[in-house]
Amino acid sequence: MIEIDHLTKRYGATTVVDDVSFQVEEGTITVVVGTSGAGKSTLLRMINRLVEPTAGRVLIDGEDTRSIPEDELRHRIGYVIQGYGLFPHRTVAANIATVPRLLGWDRKKIAQRVEELLDLFQLDPAEFAQKFPHELSGGQQQRVGVARALAARPALLLMDEPFGALDAVIRSKAQDDLLAIQRRLGTTIVLVTHDMNEAFHLGDRIAVMDQARLLQHATPAELLMHPADEFVERLVGTAERPFRLLTLTKVQDALEPGSAEGEPITASESLHDALSRLMWSGRKALPVADASGAIIGKVSVGGILGHGRPLP
Amino acid sequence: MKVASVLRLTAVVLLVLFIAMPQAFAFLFEPLTDNRAPAIYNQGSLLFLTLQHLRTVALATLASTVLAVALGIFVTRPSGAEFLPLSRSLVNIGQTFPPIAVLAIAVPLVGFGEKPTFIALFLYGLLPIFENTLTGLTQVSPQTLEAARGMGMNARQRLFQVELPLAFPVILAGIRLSVIISLGTATIGSTVAAKGLGEVIIAGLQSNNIAFVLQGGLVVALLAILIHDGLGLIERFAARKLGRSTDEVP
Repeated sequence: MIEIDHLTKRYGATTVVDDVSFQVEEGTITVVVGTSGAGKSTLLRMINRLVEPTAGRVLIDGEDTRSIPEDELRHRIGYVIQGYGLFPHRTVAANIATVPRLLGWDRKKIAQRVEELLDLFQLDPAEFAQKFPHELSGGQQQRVGVARALAARPALLLMDEPFGALDAVIRSKAQDDLLAIQRRLGTTIVLVTHDMNEAFHLGDRIAVMDQARLLQHATPAELLMHPADEFVERLVGTAERPFRLLTLTKVQDALEPGSAEGEPITASESLHDALSRLMWSGRKALPVADASGAIIGKVSVGGILGHGRPLP
Repeated sequence: MKVASVLRLTAVVLLVLFIAMPQAFAFLFEPLTDNRAPAIYNQGSLLFLTLQHLRTVALATLASTVLAVALGIFVTRPSGAEFLPLSRSLVNIGQTFPPIAVLAIAVPLVGFGEKPTFIALFLYGLLPIFENTLTGLTQVSPQTLEAARGMGMNARQRLFQVELPLAFPVILAGIRLSVIISLGTATIGSTVAAKGLGEVIIAGLQSNNIAFVLQGGLVVALLAILIHDGLGLIERFAARKLGRSTDEVP
């Protein structure tokens, strides 16, 4: 667990991060979101001490990060930045091996780990291991950047606008891939972005920052239904709110007994997808199937719409 | 084989043959002499003079490189940043001071021979290497450095594993420039009795023997071209690995 405890950073008279506290549970993704200049990146960089806090502290599993030597701390925390900062003079394999090499792992163990990670990120080792970063596409560079950050099995992964340099199509694929890998490895992630859609897509919890202060730290649904103040409400987007709620809710939760015509939708899909299919096909209801394909009920337009507003 | 490689090889072979047995080329230079003067330099071995010339240049460039690169690294660290303007002006003075003036000052201090030449070349060669080291080190992308720091590389690891390898092609270009300048400049060292190819040129000037002047000049020129070319190849190889200037690949 990561505890951010009254963190503050001042540069002269300017306060960049003002008394921010929240906790990140093991194996979850926390997205820090806010307008540019809100202090998100500084907050992130204080976690691995690239920026020294003026006041407050960060605890990783109860251990104060100030008690760990800087470099050692950073070996234990993965770090991905916008543009990735891959080493242009090193091959993909050598880039990924950076932290294990700093830690003095033996050659065989490093080679094994690199191959494992290339496989995990769907980069064929035979083709990519010996390539240089400039020979990769943007999406491939991004994957190498994340693989490099995960190489020494860090307890925590910090990501600063990791998808910022990708175009829209590749970005949503990269986000899905990250989610899949995170679920599989159970990595704890703190991710900074200014993109609200990204925050709702990835975050188990969302921390909203503005003008150096933390305005709200909550689950996506809470953020939608009970925004802490006007700024959060505006940032969430009042017009988008019902649709975001539908994205967060599974078909399972709006399941009704009965049957309907048409191609079944799986219970694990979002209500947003279900509604979209209903509108497109012009039907009033769709059958719902479970993971094995057996029909377990139906989902209707009326039922879905009920989930698009806060419960009384 | 490509045309460039053939040319390169021919130049090397010609140079080596000429230095090793200059008499075989006497017929080429005879038309340039008057009054049955010798066509080929006869007051010392051309091979020995060439090696001496190269030795002086190599030592001076090595010394310039060590100092200029060390200085370049120092002033790009946070602790040395305030010395940047000072180092720049010092190195600039080394370049603006004419080598012949340096010789004039150095001879009374260290005597005749190789030493004053070495000092002149050393001072003259600092600037290109220093400036290129600065350029090379400061052009490393801040993102790359941020990533290196974020992964827990300490200052020394960042310098040796990231900054210097990335700056290497640019530093090498500076060294190349410095070597070429020194190869030519070293000929004036012979005015203060340093052994080198300048001796041949000066002997030619004194006895009004154009053949001598031409021999000395040609050997120096050919050496300069070949070394320039060779270092350029290494540079391009290093740059290609970094994914830069792939359009330059021959």
